[in-house]
Amino acid sequence: MSADTLSIRNLTIEYQAKRGAVQAVRNLNLDVRRSEALALIGESGSGKTTIGLGIVRLLVSTAKITSGEMIFRRFDKTGQVIKEFDVLKLSPGEMRAFRWKDCAMVFQAALNAFNPVLKISAQFADTARAHGYLQGEALRKRACELFDLVRLDPERVWNSYPHELSGGMRQRVLIALGLLLDPPMLILDEPTTALDILTQRNIMDVLKDLRDKLRFSLIFISHDLSLAAELADRVATVYAGRIVELGNVYDTFQNPQHPYTIGLMSAVPTLTTHRDNVSSIPGSPPDLIDLPTGCKFHPRCPLAIEKCVCEEPTLSPTTGPEHLAACWRWPEAKQTLMPNPK
Amino acid sequence: MTILTHSLAGFWRETVKTLKLIARNKIGFLGFLLLVSLVLMSYVGPLIVPPETRADTTQIYKTPSREHPLGTDFQGRENWVMLVHGGAEVISVAFLAGLLTTIIAVVVGAFSAFLGGRADELIMTVTDVWLALPRGILLVVTAFFISLEDVWALALFLAVFGWPSLARQVRSQFLSLKKREYVEAAQLLNLGTPHIIFREMLPNMMSYILIALVESMTGAIYSQTYLVFLGLVPFGNNWGVLFSLAYAKNAIYNPNAMWSLLVPMGGIVLLQLSLIMFSRSLEEIFNPRLRTGV
Amino acid sequence: MSQEKPLAERILKNYALQTIAKKVLIVWVVVTLSFLIVRGLPGNPVDIMVLNLMDSQGISEDEARTRAASLLRLDLDAPLHEQYFDFLGNLLRGDLGDSYVLARGKPVAEIVFQRLPWTLFSVGTSLLISFTLGMFLGMLAAYRRNSLLDQTLTNLSAMVGAVPNTLWAIILVLLLGVVWKIVPLNMMRGSVSPGVQPGFTLAFIGDVLKHWLVPGMVYVLTTLGGWMLAMRSSTVSVLGDDYVTVARARGLPDFRIITAYVGRNASLPLVTALAISIGFLLGGSTVIEFIFVYQGVGLLMSQAIAKRDYPVMQGILLVTTITVIISTAIADLLYGWLDPRIRIRGEQE
Repeated sequence: MSADTLSIRNLTIEYQAKRGAVQAVRNLNLDVRRSEALALIGESGSGKTTIGLGIVRLLVSTAKITSGEMIFRRFDKTGQVIKEFDVLKLSPGEMRAFRWKDCAMVFQAALNAFNPVLKISAQFADTARAHGYLQGEALRKRACELFDLVRLDPERVWNSYPHELSGGMRQRVLIALGLLLDPPMLILDEPTTALDILTQRNIMDVLKDLRDKLRFSLIFISHDLSLAAELADRVATVYAGRIVELGNVYDTFQNPQHPYTIGLMSAVPTLTTHRDNVSSIPGSPPDLIDLPTGCKFHPRCPLAIEKCVCEEPTLSPTTGPEHLAACWRWPEAKQTLMPNPK
Repeated sequence: MTILTHSLAGFWRETVKTLKLIARNKIGFLGFLLLVSLVLMSYVGPLIVPPETRADTTQIYKTPSREHPLGTDFQGRENWVMLVHGGAEVISVAFLAGLLTTIIAVVVGAFSAFLGGRADELIMTVTDVWLALPRGILLVVTAFFISLEDVWALALFLAVFGWPSLARQVRSQFLSLKKREYVEAAQLLNLGTPHIIFREMLPNMMSYILIALVESMTGAIYSQTYLVFLGLVPFGNNWGVLFSLAYAKNAIYNPNAMWSLLVPMGGIVLLQLSLIMFSRSLEEIFNPRLRTGV
Repeated sequence: MSQEKPLAERILKNYALQTIAKKVLIVWVVVTLSFLIVRGLPGNPVDIMVLNLMDSQGISEDEARTRAASLLRLDLDAPLHEQYFDFLGNLLRGDLGDSYVLARGKPVAEIVFQRLPWTLFSVGTSLLISFTLGMFLGMLAAYRRNSLLDQTLTNLSAMVGAVPNTLWAIILVLLLGVVWKIVPLNMMRGSVSPGVQPGFTLAFIGDVLKHWLVPGMVYVLTTLGGWMLAMRSSTVSVLGDDYVTVARARGLPDFRIITAYVGRNASLPLVTALAISIGFLLGGSTVIEFIFVYQGVGLLMSQAIAKRDYPVMQGILLVTTITVIISTAIADLLYGWLDPRIRIRGEQE
């Protein structure tokens, strides 16, 4: 019996555009284990946010999930499965209950995540009421506990309107709200983008703290590799709607196997990088309506051979059974592209 | 000779291109055709159709038939002839008023947005005060005291009452444009305020201004109608005057007389509708985000 | 942080005070304008009035001047600024002069205030209906944007609103009363049937509503489209805001989202337009009450125009303007109360 909180198989998500269908997510397979933090990294437009939105089924109306299944499991304290279901098969009512209680997605735009005309207390009450949770004084107590966890002053926040709080405070309130119903899974989409560096640091510390204490599963979506490295247990690199590398955080960062991941790592300069050595990945992300044949990365890959143009590689084990990459030439990748690892 | 044919050909191409753009929105195209027909009828028509001057008391209130295509009025005059002759004044006033309103509003709005600070506040307070008043009643009272003899006077009068609300909208458009980079660049290059406004920002607002023009025209027709109906604007034999007269003669209760009422009303309604429909085309051309689909 | 409460209260009062101060300023401007129109314009209406009095009543110029002066409560020979202050003083006492044609010698204030409630009732009720219906249709169109329903509603709104109110009134009378004969013609004349006793009886209220019906329809038709389009664009904009998506992610029921999240935020900008709408409708009442012979202030105005009764015209102008300004003030205060971002200026942003 699988001990994974979420098992995604063959997920395909398409958007309808005038020119054709945008294939945002293609045949995605992914497992998120209990209490594990998985980071999804990639460029903008790689599909990572779409995956997150797909899990809670909050895609734009022009998007369609054309295939796949997403099995979600709830466990009790001993590790036994209490509930197991396919998220894609839920009715609208069941979906409403699923959202936030089983899986809470915290968006990146916390600056405008709250209804401007309602107090924070009212918005907590709304959420609690929608899920048949605590009310009144019990709710306030619980909320204040959560505010403490996220290092906010409960008095300051509970009776305020959203515009009275700073961006960093609102982000933390949103995280606290996300934890209100004690969900087994949390999805954080770029939680620190648009925040200044000090607040960023604050939030990262809060998140690490929370994970230690509450042990929920976390999907952390980011384009910032260093943040992903801090928080994640495993890292998945997303390119053109598919995962191209998957492994635990140390392996992936120290020993990247896929040319794209290598490119991403190299592009991040360290303090000692000479300015002549700053690199980037040539070319631009593929057109998701008109994808190249074979491996979608081949137009930008220095190692591309004929096989890469014809056949798309599948995610397979590389240096170890837990470190997977979708590349025909993974044995040569690291040596050729990253002879002097940082 | 070739230069002439070249420019004519170029002109023709541009016209066809514009027509195609307009035709994208079916309703808009219909409105455009209707508008063109009404304009032709009102300005070219009177050159072809002689005006009705004689009153034929034997033909009072005839219902439409082959001899009297749209019926006759209380003096036995042909309704359709009155229709052809009655449009020019209405359209002229509407166009002039719309043009004047738009010009004043754009200039005031642009300078207000651009100058900012005290000047801006002052101008905005003036427009706020103006907007807060019941303009309908003010219009009526002022029209009463000022005699409005001709097309230009009425147009100017309507423009004076109409510019504030448009000026506000223009100003907010300018304010949002002002933040764009090319404006900052122009300012850094010290190009001077009038240059920036007229050569940099205005062309980007052309679309908005055109739509505003059409809207001002519909507003002018709206106000015109009831000013004429209340007898405050005493001239001509335009559609407004025609239907007011018909109403005064209680045509509404007489089934035979109804046509003398309906025909000029129809003219006004068709003119308004054609303008509104046409502005739909304009909106779609200039605001691609409004187009359906992604 | 602990200074917050008293600070907030001060700021709230401040916004209210600011609003009221602005309105008082506007009232003063209108009053002054009105005075200038009557006394200062070329083709001085007072002189014309004197001439008219001389003609119609066969009196000498001096007598006519005295009569005009008393009707207008002006001392015609005093310097202009003195006349102005007299004028202001009279206004504050509620003295608007006397009518000189329509109701010989009766105080204008009396005539106007007797008619005012009727107009306010018909305009107010219509506005309420138009606003509510417009809000509902606007939200519907926004939720279903670009669908056939939305396009139909949008185009229809634009077209219906473009037809001048005068024409709508005539069209309705024609269709409902003459062609289809659904509504008896006598219900489209006057504000109340003759012989009906005023009071809180069902019969009276029913009769009043019946007479309000068709003129009310004209008011609604001319404003409904505007409300619908405004609400539609406001709702579309709100629907694009992140907090709506987050609300759905939180598993909130649709009804709650539509009302408290989308509805409340989308209707905020429309509140300020409410008062402008009153101004617009009051303006239109002149023509509409004329057509329906509705005994309100609008009809009085058209009669005053026809009979050239300046005191009455001026009185109506002042009263309606002040009414509109009061409603603008109420609307602005309401907006300040509804939108907490204005009510309490945040400390950080």
